[in-house]
Amino acid sequence: MEERRYRSAGGAPIALRRRQHSASCRELAVRCPRLQLCSLSAVTSAVWLAAYGLFALTENSMVLSAAIFVMLIGLIMYLHFVKIDQESLLVIGSLGIQVTSSYASGKESTTFIEMSQVKDVVINEAIHMQKVIYYLCILLQDPRDPQGISEVVPLFQSSKPRLDCLIEVYRSCQEILDQRKTVPQ
Amino acid sequence: MVENSPAPLPERAIYGFALFLGSWFGFILYLIWAYVPETWLFSLGLTYWPQKYWAVALPVYLLVAIGIGYILLFGINMMSTAPLNSTYTITDNYAQKQRQKKFQEEAIPALRDIPISEVNRMFFLPEK
Repeated sequence: MEERRYRSAGGAPIALRRRQHSASCRELAVRCPRLQLCSLSAVTSAVWLAAYGLFALTENSMVLSAAIFVMLIGLIMYLHFVKIDQESLLVIGSLGIQVTSSYASGKESTTFIEMSQVKDVVINEAIHMQKVIYYLCILLQDPRDPQGISEVVPLFQSSKPRLDCLIEVYRSCQEILDQRKTVPQ
Repeated sequence: MVENSPAPLPERAIYGFALFLGSWFGFILYLIWAYVPETWLFSLGLTYWPQKYWAVALPVYLLVAIGIGYILLFGINMMSTAPLNSTYTITDNYAQKQRQKKFQEEAIPALRDIPISEVNRMFFLPEK
């Protein structure tokens, strides 16, 4: 098991952890930076200043308690639905690929794709919000039509690693996927 | 066959001068419509001209439309960019239907769309 530091597409530090469970099973996990205290306090003070300004305007003290309430609910929903702590990829040679996202509140969301549907794992580049980014994606095929690509599943959407990290993940996945060709199905 | 060149020609000079005169005429007419009081225009017999409100409203409409047009174009571009999970980032109808030409010795290979798996293997698999 090894862990290496990289940078995300936006410049934030991320860490890639590789674990080899067996000859045909590997787990790659990308850990995103934690919620920063300075950004949290900046947002909190901005919301509370705006609420105080509204209170000075309207003389209604409900605005202040409403602002505290909104702040708490907003923080909980952000941690539970938006802020991703770790994204991991588990490649099992003969079985399939499992993609897991763990949120900051502890929630985990998992997707499993069986090996007969997986055509390849590639690094694709695409235009995303005025930038061209590299991202890793799983190409899915219809098992009855091995030539066509039926779907594209992008991986590591919120941590957005840069090309050096993606190349490491790509090489690890290709070593496992190459075993598919040598072992007859 | 008339060749297309940007060189000056007598016809182009005439078109240019006609446009020049026409745009000056239009501008003077617009100034008269905007500034000359209505009573003077009525006394001249021109009673059915549009309201002077439009002499101010139309330029404002035009400028706001141009400003919104910039934002709209930007937005339309962003909306028509394929999302990251669409197959159009990898292939399209033409590439899927292409036919392989037979490989000939000593000849340059025919132009074709190389599948993304091959491109990735060539770029990223060789050890540094």
